[in-house]
Amino acid sequence: MLKSWKLKEIVLMSLFGVVFGIVYLLAIHLGNIWAGVIGPIAYEWMFGIWFIVSIISMQIIRKPGAAVLPETLAAIIEVMLGNAIGPRLILSGVIQGLGAEAAFAVTGYKHFNLAIMMLAGAGAAVFSFVYGYFLSGYAALDPSFVALMFTLRVLSGMIIAGIGGKYLADALLATGSLRGYAISRAKKGDAGA
Amino acid sequence: MRQLLHDMNPSVKFVAVTLAMLTLAFFFDPWTPALFWIGIILMQVFWSRINWKLWFVLMLPFTLGAFGYLWTALVFGANDGSEAILTFAGISVTEEQWQRALSLSFRVMAFSTLSLLFALTTDPVKFVMSLMQQLKLSPKLAYGVMVSYQFLPVLKDEFFQIQQAQRLRGVPVEESWWRRLLNLRHLLLPMLAGAVRKAERAAFAMEARGFTGKAPTEFYRPIMLTKTDFLLATFFLCVLVASCTGGILLTD
Amino acid sequence: MHKDVFTLRDVSFRFPEDDKEILNGVSFTIREGDRVTISGPSGCGKSTLLYLLNRLYPENCDGIVTGDIRLFGKKSEVYAPGEINHQVATVFQDPDSQFCMPTVEEELAFTLENLQVPRIEMESRIRDVLELTRLSALRHTVIQSLSGGMKQRVATACALVMKPEVLLLDEPLSHLDPLTAQQFITWLEGLHKEVGLTIVAVEHRLDLWGSFFDREISMDHSGRIIADGPFRRKTPIFYTRRASAVETEPALSVDAVSVKIKNETLLFPLSFQAKRGEVVVIAGPNGSGKSTLLKSLCGIYKRSSGTVEPERVGYVPQSPEFLFLEKTIEKELRYSGFASSSEVESLLHRLALEHLKDAHPFSVSHGQKRRVAIGAMLADNRKVILMDEPTSGQDASCLQELFELIHERVQEGISFLIVTHDMEFAAAAANSVILIKDGRMTGKFAASEIWQDAPLLASHQLLPPKGADQHAAAFA
Ligand SMILES: Nc1ncnc2c1ncn2[C@@H]1O[C@H](COP(=O)(O)OP(=O)(O)OP(=O)(O)O)[C@@H](O)[C@H]1O
Ligand SMILES: Nc1ncnc2c1ncn2[C@@H]1O[C@H](COP(=O)(O)OP(=O)(O)OP(=O)(O)O)[C@@H](O)[C@H]1O
Ligand SMILES: [Mg+2]
Ligand SMILES: [Mg+2]
Repeated sequence: MLKSWKLKEIVLMSLFGVVFGIVYLLAIHLGNIWAGVIGPIAYEWMFGIWFIVSIISMQIIRKPGAAVLPETLAAIIEVMLGNAIGPRLILSGVIQGLGAEAAFAVTGYKHFNLAIMMLAGAGAAVFSFVYGYFLSGYAALDPSFVALMFTLRVLSGMIIAGIGGKYLADALLATGSLRGYAISRAKKGDAGA
Repeated sequence: MRQLLHDMNPSVKFVAVTLAMLTLAFFFDPWTPALFWIGIILMQVFWSRINWKLWFVLMLPFTLGAFGYLWTALVFGANDGSEAILTFAGISVTEEQWQRALSLSFRVMAFSTLSLLFALTTDPVKFVMSLMQQLKLSPKLAYGVMVSYQFLPVLKDEFFQIQQAQRLRGVPVEESWWRRLLNLRHLLLPMLAGAVRKAERAAFAMEARGFTGKAPTEFYRPIMLTKTDFLLATFFLCVLVASCTGGILLTD
Repeated sequence: MHKDVFTLRDVSFRFPEDDKEILNGVSFTIREGDRVTISGPSGCGKSTLLYLLNRLYPENCDGIVTGDIRLFGKKSEVYAPGEINHQVATVFQDPDSQFCMPTVEEELAFTLENLQVPRIEMESRIRDVLELTRLSALRHTVIQSLSGGMKQRVATACALVMKPEVLLLDEPLSHLDPLTAQQFITWLEGLHKEVGLTIVAVEHRLDLWGSFFDREISMDHSGRIIADGPFRRKTPIFYTRRASAVETEPALSVDAVSVKIKNETLLFPLSFQAKRGEVVVIAGPNGSGKSTLLKSLCGIYKRSSGTVEPERVGYVPQSPEFLFLEKTIEKELRYSGFASSSEVESLLHRLALEHLKDAHPFSVSHGQKRRVAIGAMLADNRKVILMDEPTSGQDASCLQELFELIHERVQEGISFLIVTHDMEFAAAAANSVILIKDGRMTGKFAASEIWQDAPLLASHQLLPPKGADQHAAAFA
């Protein structure tokens, strides 16, 4: 998969993984404090934060793997930083990334407009929820409560990750530092679509 | 002895820890995660020289999280229709629910301790190098991560420097905190743009140092795989199997 | 009999977003053992040319190349990324952007691993190159915490440890202190004799190189080669000395300022004053604390003690990028709103940035970035301006212009603190000189005395400026 990637794309993706690894970790801490008070539902509305790097990096690099890899890396970085939920988190990173990746894959990595970004955010939310359902044992919770969690998470994925990710990538493009990446080449192509 | 976990091959440690976590996810009785939790705490006590003060500080948020799980599982737990053993403020809790709630909370504690065991005894750089050398992680990716990881302190310093430089240029400091929060985006964007440029240059530097994306065959400091690693891994799995069996026996 | 290393035939290059060619019909052949320098005005495409020779471009920027580039007789496209760099080592222009590993040792080891050097040999090669470049003490130091010049020396060590066939150098002296720069040339001479190394160096300050090169390729603004022939020794730039504009009123007073980072004292308490209209040059060895001093004066580094008056000063950093806030160079200069339109236009013109005024500050050449930062500060109405190596990477006409600009501002009572390794510039511009060594200030000296005191200069890794006698005459 990485054969067709330029080294600079890989390093960029990793560095985004690092930057967002930190952001994610901060978010976990924030969430943990909440969670102590109101339980795991505290995370749901802010879950989109944890999908954002997939969406930004895919928009910039536009190659298969550009969503799942940085998400995985961000998770690895969280683990490397020492105070995360641990190696298990890496697996959840992979799964969230796959969710976002799936949205791009079904459209053949051809379109990168807002709708696709939101779809990717939702994809990540669905995948991560299914995984959480097993690992955190949501089966033990009341179905209507589970449904509420699910809805919140999908909405958060679409809004925070989808819209937020698109906004950040566009702003970054405007700074002129993304020369030599697919997003610059396609600038006229489908930005408005 | 006290060095054992620190010296363990990071990849082997990683696989063992991940296996343990996945296995635990299938148990819903309180005893299994509790027993396992005690097991790994003991391992850390005897085989590592971690900073326990730091350990407690890091465990604190997870303990809070575990508490959150406990009461969510109690209040929103799926109702199995059996008789309540406890009623409190209009919420009734059945035996089943109580068991599951306890199990989920112990699981959070066991997972967190396991993670800390890994995180506090593993050198990140060695971890990535070991992933490349033992688990055949793509060298492009492995070195990409390494390079990015070492930018971590740099990015932190830069955050402060950009802030100072913007002040120096006369970017006004906002009085109200929410405006300041909103202005964070003026910092985040230069940070990200800076990250993009750093990535590009680091990639150039790697290429200029002759990195072609192939795994080197010679390492300056190879990460070894020894017998001790397998012994430790086996012991790890024994603890896991023991707590699972213990859990099953104690529940019945 | 010497084989061809690089052969370019009618090569043009442009960036995908631009419609103008950066390089225009460039043709030359470089043979094994050649010592070539590439010169030309700032922004003419010299760094770009080096990037084509080590094959980082066009692949990494989607650049558009026409013509034929052959590396060691083979078409440049047939090489995989990184492959050619086993034979061609590069020292880049910007000290901050050429490392990928945390410590000096790891960076060197990474290079050797890529070259598949047997493990038993690695240790001795690392030790030898560190001894050669006198960096043994820095072996386990974190590269990011080094000073600009030290980074540049580490980069050289990394290039040399490869035992390359070809060495590409992009203004290798621009961040080195004068004595180290001389030594650097001596090393290269040795290496050339020993292993017949081919050397291609981009350089503005050719006068520092004596008769090291045997060939010079000169380029003009449009990226064309205008001359290619034997190298002739250059004389240093001559600046027309101007009358001093120092007034009696103090403009900057620094009292007992010290800097400590992570329990290490980088700067011991020092105090001095600068008068209105005074130009103070700060000089000293690489890593002595010059940049640290400027950063602490303008507040980028926290001072551990001491006071600075006034608080608001202008600052041009050694790596200018993190100062930039705007999307175009013109806006960057206008940012503060103090300068009138005509002043900004005139600054753009004089700093040779006119044709770039709509370019993004990040995507111009190294020397241009530095001038953007200088322009922004000059347009910013600051009474005191600190400049960290404004002379590095500038061509002769830019240096003259910078000299003039400083002179004009001085007339208006603005004071300058300038860190530079360029002794000729220092001698022409300075009213006084502060010497720094190992984080301590040796003293503040009047310019009229210091250039005669060779032992004092040498103890700070400095050299008397060439043509110092003329200046002495001017003072007499
Ligand atoms: N990434 C880029 N995208 C677009 N234009 C660029 C880019 N990098 C450089 N340029 C432009 O290309 C021209 C040549 O740049 P280059 O860095 O090769 O100059 P240089 O001769 O090395 O100058 P200096 O002596 O100042 O370092 C400059 O005019 C610059 O504005
Ligand atoms: N953030 C930092 N953390 C630790 N050490 C630092 C830091 N910044 C600088 N130093 C150290 O302080 C010393 C002085 O550095 P400084 O950059 O001021 O040198 P300099 O005089 O500007 O040298 P040069 O001429 O090479 O630019 C160096 O030894 C450097 O390693
Ligand atoms: Mg250049
Ligand atoms: Mg410096």
